[in-house]
Amino acid sequence: MTKPTSIERDPLYVVAPPIVTDKTKRFGHIIVWGTFTLMFLLAIIQFLNTNEHITFGFKTWRPVLYAYILWACAIGYSRVLIYGEKGKRTLFVFPAVMFILSIVIFPMLFGLYISFTDWNLSSIDGREFNGLDNFYQMISDPYYWNALKNMIYYVLAVLVEFAIAFLLALLLNSQIRGRKFFRIAFLIPLMLSPVAVSWMVGKSMLEQRFGPVANLGRFLGWETPTFFSSPEIARLTMMCMDAWTFIPLMIIMLLAGLQALPKEVLEAAKVDGANKWTMFKNIIFPIMLPVSLTTLVIRIIFKLKLADIIIIVTAGGPGGATDSVTSFIVREYRDRSNVGYGTLLSFVYLILIIIFMTILIRFVNRWLQRAA
Amino acid sequence: MKKSLYEYAIAKSKASRRTFLKGAAGAGAVAAMSGGLSSVATNAFGASDLRSAILKIPGVGVGSPGDADWQKVGEMCLGGTKERVKEGEFNGVEISFLGLDSLNLHNMLHRGFLKPWEKYTGAKIKWIDLAQADYNARLQQSIATGTVDFDIVQSGAPYEGDLCGKGLTSEMPGWVADQIDLADYVGYLQAPTGTWDGKTYRISIDGDCHNFNYRTDYFENEDLAKAWKDEGHSGNWEVPTTWQKVTEVSKFLKGKKHAGFPAYGYLDVQKGWGGFGFYFLGSIATAYAKHPDSPAFLFEPETMKPMVNNPAWVRAIQDVLDRRDCQPPDQINADPGVTGFSQFLAGTGSMVSWWGDVGSNANTSDESLVQGNVGFDILPGSDDVYNWKTGKWETLSSGPNYAPNMAYIGWGLYCMKTVDMDTTKRKAAWSACAHIGGKDLSLWMSMYPSGFQPYRNSHFNIDEWVGAGYTNAFASDYLASEADSYNHPNAAIEPRIPGIFQYYSIAEDELSKIYAGEYDAQTGADNIAAAWDKITDQIGRENQIKLYKASLGL
Repeated sequence: MTKPTSIERDPLYVVAPPIVTDKTKRFGHIIVWGTFTLMFLLAIIQFLNTNEHITFGFKTWRPVLYAYILWACAIGYSRVLIYGEKGKRTLFVFPAVMFILSIVIFPMLFGLYISFTDWNLSSIDGREFNGLDNFYQMISDPYYWNALKNMIYYVLAVLVEFAIAFLLALLLNSQIRGRKFFRIAFLIPLMLSPVAVSWMVGKSMLEQRFGPVANLGRFLGWETPTFFSSPEIARLTMMCMDAWTFIPLMIIMLLAGLQALPKEVLEAAKVDGANKWTMFKNIIFPIMLPVSLTTLVIRIIFKLKLADIIIIVTAGGPGGATDSVTSFIVREYRDRSNVGYGTLLSFVYLILIIIFMTILIRFVNRWLQRAA
Repeated sequence: MKKSLYEYAIAKSKASRRTFLKGAAGAGAVAAMSGGLSSVATNAFGASDLRSAILKIPGVGVGSPGDADWQKVGEMCLGGTKERVKEGEFNGVEISFLGLDSLNLHNMLHRGFLKPWEKYTGAKIKWIDLAQADYNARLQQSIATGTVDFDIVQSGAPYEGDLCGKGLTSEMPGWVADQIDLADYVGYLQAPTGTWDGKTYRISIDGDCHNFNYRTDYFENEDLAKAWKDEGHSGNWEVPTTWQKVTEVSKFLKGKKHAGFPAYGYLDVQKGWGGFGFYFLGSIATAYAKHPDSPAFLFEPETMKPMVNNPAWVRAIQDVLDRRDCQPPDQINADPGVTGFSQFLAGTGSMVSWWGDVGSNANTSDESLVQGNVGFDILPGSDDVYNWKTGKWETLSSGPNYAPNMAYIGWGLYCMKTVDMDTTKRKAAWSACAHIGGKDLSLWMSMYPSGFQPYRNSHFNIDEWVGAGYTNAFASDYLASEADSYNHPNAAIEPRIPGIFQYYSIAEDELSKIYAGEYDAQTGADNIAAAWDKITDQIGRENQIKLYKASLGL
């Protein structure tokens, strides 16, 4: 019996396909398993050598990496050998899949493993599996819980930011003089690096002795205008600086929504005699709800990553009042080389973010459905 | 040599736009106040032809030196190399060199100095430049993951625990010690610094310590002197030499004015600085905690039990708390950068502890508002000192206990163990380090912008500085402030154990809470001690004890 060609199997082909035979299929399987075996053997040898179970091995893990790349190439080639035209189509996706596997999935799994180890870079014994010890340490770590508590304050501040952003977006959407200028001017903080904001605003403009904002405070009768001395004021100042940077992002999104509002509806409301507040309350805000909620969700995601301005301006102080989870993890990981614990904290935070965002998005969706 | 210091000298030679302590009288006064130039040999060394020749490249007052100058100096200082290495002896050898590129100094200079060395020996250097902020993480990751990809590393003595303690470094051959003249190092850079288990691993290229900087105009203010007497304080209105007096002066100045502005006393660091902020508490605590009979002041050597919660350290923390009410506003947000530069140099406060940078910038930086009004001394002492062995406070018959804090101990060059597998490469790596750390070349570095401070006894020859173009007053004052700290018999030298900055970092977090009023000094210190114990256990207590004792030379 003659073997069917790819043409017969797949009438949608456009390129002359190679003939897939048992021989090519066999060869495809051989190169995949052959390269996999090679990679596996090299990894085993290197693992045993690294752990001083055998005396021979390579100086680095690089040969294993090369074997992995060879295996990946072999898998790609084998798709064509085994599946012909369909295999070729797979090749369009395959590099991306391997890329994600290599730089996202594998590091994440490795990170997960590290989070269950006691790994201080200065430890002479290196990395050691310690089960749930890091988790128990986290449970009793007042710094982590303090940072989480601060994150609640920071996230709640997004509501205020949203109100300000909405107001500014409405202004920029109206026919005010210099509208184009203000649209660009309002975007400038977003263009600035948080590091620049930290130095320009946090360390210069708000400087107690010579900062212009402090001078203004003195001019207005505030005897000792200090912005980072008391825990509450320091946290509030941090919120303001972060808000100043990211409110423009919310403005852009909200402005886009406002400009897409159906003009007929607004004009009809005007004709019916609705005033501005009524229009906003009964027409603009409800129609803007999907955009608003998307804006809030995105802003909260940004907020949960808050770290740079805290690290630079207050280093988490005074007394941990401005610490965020990320800034605390940075200290634990970078300054204290506590890789195992730092990684666990990151994973727990990631899980908390995923749970929080899932609940938030579900809540938002339900609300939107109800509103519709 | 701090760049700003050099720039000052240049400016000074071109136009007398500033005066430094108003000439020799001022210098003499400062010298007297700093206990005399006891460690500064004014005429101990005759400037050799080579030394005076290199110091004229490019010459103080004719602009900052560049690559051509560095190469020229490097070539002129090749004598030591030529005595020990044949021309072309290292042909085909490649050495990788990890260092800093801060302020376009450090490795930039090393490149220039080593170009003629490369030409002569035939070796090639592969450069790895790191920003200061990336340095710790890069080094720790290389060590932890076994990916040491450098043969020579520029590193600080506090990292010796991580490097030498883990057997990653190559022992210095005897011929190198001869070439660089190890005996010329100032006291605190002598063994055990740079050594581990009795073996030498380091070529020093820098020195570091905390000095006491004060405003001379405050202590010459007659109104303040009168008020001091009127309020019934004991002794004259003068620069305090003990921490007890520092606190008394700080409290006295509260609410008073000096030159029309609010007067402040000692500027306390109350905010962390990536671990470096802890040095500033240390600079207070050493006077209380560093007993002359023991080199230990941070941990008990036999157990690694932290001393940070003993009465001496708690008193130092309490000092900071006691001075909180007389600090400038927002002091809780003041890290060392603020106290040194934004406050003291900008005219706020009358006393501050810092590395040599504040002293040199005080009279050289355009941003400084205190030119001509700054004096230098070693860190204040204490009327009594805590003896951790007996658990009692003691009053020494010799007077107050002084213990200058040798914070960070300065940069050095280390060859990694990787070079030991190849004798030619080993010799090449050590030869390159010896060339940079050579006696003559290091003098040039201490006088011109390099990022490094004087660290050899021979660097303190004022005649050579004057010969290079500096004024006598400037050289005398600057050098005395450092020399008396370096050579102090009770200098507090920090332990060179693995992860030392981890201890400092967690301490900063706890101190922040103490200063914010969340705990009292003892509770906070106990928390620090508990955290330090946890770190010690995590890194490995037995090994830490072994390395700690080795670093103390016990």
